[in-house]
Amino acid sequence: MTSIATKTVLRLAHVSKTYGEGESSVEAVHDVSMDLDAGKFIFLMGPSGSGKTTLLMLMGCLLRPTTGSVHIFDEAVSSLAESSLPRVRRSRIGYIFQGFNLFPALTALENVEATLNLKGCRGAEGRAEARNLLERVGLAKRMHHLPEDLSGGEKQRVAVARALAGNPPIILADEPTGMLDSKTGRLISEILRDLAHEEGRLVFMVSHDSRITALADQIFNIEDGCLQDGSRQ
Amino acid sequence: MVSIARKNLFHDKIRFAVALAGISFAVVLITVQLGVYLAFRSNVSVLIDHTEADIWITAHGLENFDFGRPFSEKKRYEVAEVPGVAWAEKYFLGFGYWKTPGGSQETVQMVGFDPETMVGAPWSIVKGNPQDVKYFNSIFYDEAETNRLGNLPIGSETEINNHRVRVAGIVSGARSFIQSPYIFTSFKNALNLSFINKGNTVYVLVKVAPGYSVKDVQRRIRETVKDVDVYTSPDFSKKTQDYWMINTGTGVALLAVALMGVVIGTVIVANTIYTSTTEHLKEFGTLKAIGASNWDLYVIIIEQALINSVIGFAVGMAISYLVIQAMKKGHLPVLLAPPVLVGIFVLTVLMCLWSSVLSISKVTRIDPAMVFKS
Ligand SMILES: Nc1ncnc2c1ncn2[C@@H]1O[C@H](COP(=O)(O)OP(=O)(O)OP(=O)(O)O)[C@@H](O)[C@H]1O
Ligand SMILES: [Mg+2]
Repeated sequence: MTSIATKTVLRLAHVSKTYGEGESSVEAVHDVSMDLDAGKFIFLMGPSGSGKTTLLMLMGCLLRPTTGSVHIFDEAVSSLAESSLPRVRRSRIGYIFQGFNLFPALTALENVEATLNLKGCRGAEGRAEARNLLERVGLAKRMHHLPEDLSGGEKQRVAVARALAGNPPIILADEPTGMLDSKTGRLISEILRDLAHEEGRLVFMVSHDSRITALADQIFNIEDGCLQDGSRQ
Repeated sequence: MVSIARKNLFHDKIRFAVALAGISFAVVLITVQLGVYLAFRSNVSVLIDHTEADIWITAHGLENFDFGRPFSEKKRYEVAEVPGVAWAEKYFLGFGYWKTPGGSQETVQMVGFDPETMVGAPWSIVKGNPQDVKYFNSIFYDEAETNRLGNLPIGSETEINNHRVRVAGIVSGARSFIQSPYIFTSFKNALNLSFINKGNTVYVLVKVAPGYSVKDVQRRIRETVKDVDVYTSPDFSKKTQDYWMINTGTGVALLAVALMGVVIGTVIVANTIYTSTTEHLKEFGTLKAIGASNWDLYVIIIEQALINSVIGFAVGMAISYLVIQAMKKGHLPVLLAPPVLVGIFVLTVLMCLWSSVLSISKVTRIDPAMVFKS
């Protein structure tokens, strides 16, 4: 085993996850090890039910591995107490969901601002930062609209801006383009790529979409919970 | 700060309106019932509370002020001998049958005081001179009882217990809501009109001399004067209030309706808050996934409860005010001191917080992993 390189942001060591117990148990992820570096735009691909979402949740401290460990920088997050996890999620990770998961009663700006508030950035500073983030994802003109008045692409831009709140080093996205047409999906993917390449974040994204794989720096394939050898580096 | 709680509340306008209607309804029920209860409660002892005596001496075993029984007037002289007694006055209270001009009969309570000392006299005179009760069978009644007694103007005559009486004046503030109407006259007239034998009194009222403690004088009278009960005025007042409010069930009924208000309010509010939480479960899950602690979520739910209670209280109070004004026009009394209103506000907040308990336990159990399931 090599020591964690300074560039390595997220490290999984022999991670397995089994849901349930006994006869009905399902091993969704089996013995996965990976070192993921800052500044990389990484894809995870695989058939339905292969364990992609499970792996993403393990990375994001939403699930605990059954065996193995997850490190963010050099903190062993998989063995932290339950009460410490909100802090890790707040400071280290930005999430983007397939279904956007915006707060429907809040405008685009408020969605981002409320997330900043939660992460400790409040008042005028929070508001200004929320504007900045929305400008960065190209949504300056629609920031006072409610999610229901935004297109799918616009919603996902808001979600990206929200994921950037608090400046997390890791962005985890579960099929963020799944509900978008291919052109919009590509635009969002390009924004995510820029977050990796221009800002040095680790962007780890689950995708089914083979048309955008060319954007990725690295692609992992997973089948039945096991990483496949053919993964492109 | 962006208040997710407030935004969510105002976003679901219909649900918010239902919650507010529930809270306001509860607040109105509680306020009006409690107001009537407190008014009735203070009303039943109104004569005791407006008499300047420190001590009331009654026949032994009395249940309350309105059911006075006669005892020998001689006891008054025994009482007057007790050290610390500034004065001891006789005071009459007894039932009578009042004949209305229509020919029907109304039960009344005759109050007899000594016009020389005016101890126990009506305290708020609308018309007439209360000293006039010393004239033969002259009586005063309360302006609010005018209808009940048959609209008899000053100078007109009717009968009590088949004796002629003459209306000499009108008082106010002595209306009785639960008991029979009070008729004020002199002690002598009242005794004559009643079926009680001469030489008796119904109460002896005592003023304690300066420098003596009421409790000490009460104890000394108890030791000296036999076959009577000796109460301080506040104790006698409370005994009478408890009798009418608790023993007769009147107050219990009023408070039961107020309690029903609390229960109904809590059920409606708990139900709307819980439904709202259930519908926003995905949002709470998202908040957890992006780093909110359970406490962050509790704050949102509690803030919702507080907003609900403050607005619901304000609306409820505004409606109560209108209801109470209407009731006062119908001569139904309502008594609400500021501390009672503060109490109702605190109750409203507690009701809303209690309504949030289910929601709080629900969000505690949310697994943030749920947000990845589509
Ligand atoms: N909470 C759970 N309890 C039991 N089994 C689960 C649970 N979540 C997922 N699984 C199972 O684990 C396996 C992997 O599921 P996962 O959601 O990670 O797949 P996925 O690759 O994200 O699929 P998709 O492409 O359909 O989103 C599947 O067989 C699934 O049925
Ligand atoms: Mg999935």
